[in-house]
Amino acid sequence: MAQVYFEDVNVGDEIPQLKKNCSTQQLVMWAAGSGDFYQIHYDKDFAQRTGLKGLIVHGALKNAFLGQLLHDWAGEKGQIRKFGCSYRGMDEPDQDILCRGVITRKYADGGKNFVELDVWTEKPDGTKTSPGTAVVTLPSKS
Amino acid sequence: MADEFEITDEMRAQIGQETEPWTYEVTTTSVRMYARGIGSDDPIHYDVDFAKSQGFRSIVAPLGYIGTPVYLPGRNDPTFGFPRRGGGPRLNLPMKGLLDGGTETEYFDVICAGDVLEETSHLADLKARGRMLFVTNESVFKNKATGQIVAKQRLTSIHL
Amino acid sequence: MAEQTYFEDVTEGQEIGPIKITPDKQQLVKFAAGSGDFNPLHFDEDFPMIKAMGLSGTIVHGRFKYAQVGRLLLQFAGYKGRVKKFGVTYRGMDFPNREITVKGVVTAKKQEGGENLVELDIWTEDPEGKKTTPGNAVVALPGRG
Repeated sequence: MAQVYFEDVNVGDEIPQLKKNCSTQQLVMWAAGSGDFYQIHYDKDFAQRTGLKGLIVHGALKNAFLGQLLHDWAGEKGQIRKFGCSYRGMDEPDQDILCRGVITRKYADGGKNFVELDVWTEKPDGTKTSPGTAVVTLPSKS
Repeated sequence: MADEFEITDEMRAQIGQETEPWTYEVTTTSVRMYARGIGSDDPIHYDVDFAKSQGFRSIVAPLGYIGTPVYLPGRNDPTFGFPRRGGGPRLNLPMKGLLDGGTETEYFDVICAGDVLEETSHLADLKARGRMLFVTNESVFKNKATGQIVAKQRLTSIHL
Repeated sequence: MAEQTYFEDVTEGQEIGPIKITPDKQQLVKFAAGSGDFNPLHFDEDFPMIKAMGLSGTIVHGRFKYAQVGRLLLQFAGYKGRVKKFGVTYRGMDFPNREITVKGVVTAKKQEGGENLVELDIWTEDPEGKKTTPGNAVVALPGRG
């Protein structure tokens, strides 16, 4: 992705979407990388015994996907200052998870160019599962 | 269809072809994660001060650790983690299934966190048993700093 | 960790172990994490290869069993001993939630190249007593002198 500059973005713009689809193998790799070995993410019997329909994707992994969405958009010269989300809805393996973001504010402060965004993950039917926000600084063309 | 897997001359010619080297960094985190994975709680694998008190450079890698891959995107097999690199055998096997046949490690030194190893491998043997093919690879691990061989490993995989 | 074993105290025919472990799915996922082998054969019952290979379900990684043998040998060798060589073949399958027992027997002791060497047969057994992972090892032990 080419570097995005502060002057090029507008409130209301949607940033390029990131589509994810986690295999059960991916969930095990996340357990490995994060050290979170909670069985609801790879043991179907365990998940169902806790009342879930089946395996679910770790919230922290979706948070990480949103981080990747922002990182890819902000580019080498952009900086992610803050981002977070709530794990409102569950996502399952082998199903598309669409990561999206929309610019809600842009302003200059203390010599830096700030952009605020709403970010979220979405299921194929459009349900927002992990709504959140982010603050990013972008380089200026000048 | 033949009852015995046919080992072609082209396949036999791959025996002995040495790969390019691959670097393995033995880190405290990877040693601890491996020890946790095998269900060991021996402090020699986790506690650096304790390991040093027992005369080791740092925490000691459990005995099966050697060969734990250092994964680099696009350069390692995404499931098994073995490195894809220049040199080495090109077998192009149409695998219906793959099973582990055996593992043998010879140690010339204790492997500790902080060691950086350089490994090369070659195809050592091919054996047909009925329709199955037994492939044995041999790896040599050297300590990059000293150039000394620290371990050798023979891995046999069964291709169905 | 157990007391240090010394060369003088070891006799041919002596048994070592057992170490027992019953790996549940979580342990096998931890092993995938630690070993870098993410083959779904070991944690995903729906993995198509399982049926294609005629297996009844997920199986324990061969290298997991190799590591268990390694644990027994490290216990036997102690921090002052050195495991020189150990190897196994994966003859039989082992399945999750079933006890794996690791055992060994001293087959020879000799002094060679200035080292006190002990040779052993080592293996893992399934709950029916079947030796699924047979192998052997060479360990160098310290002397008391």
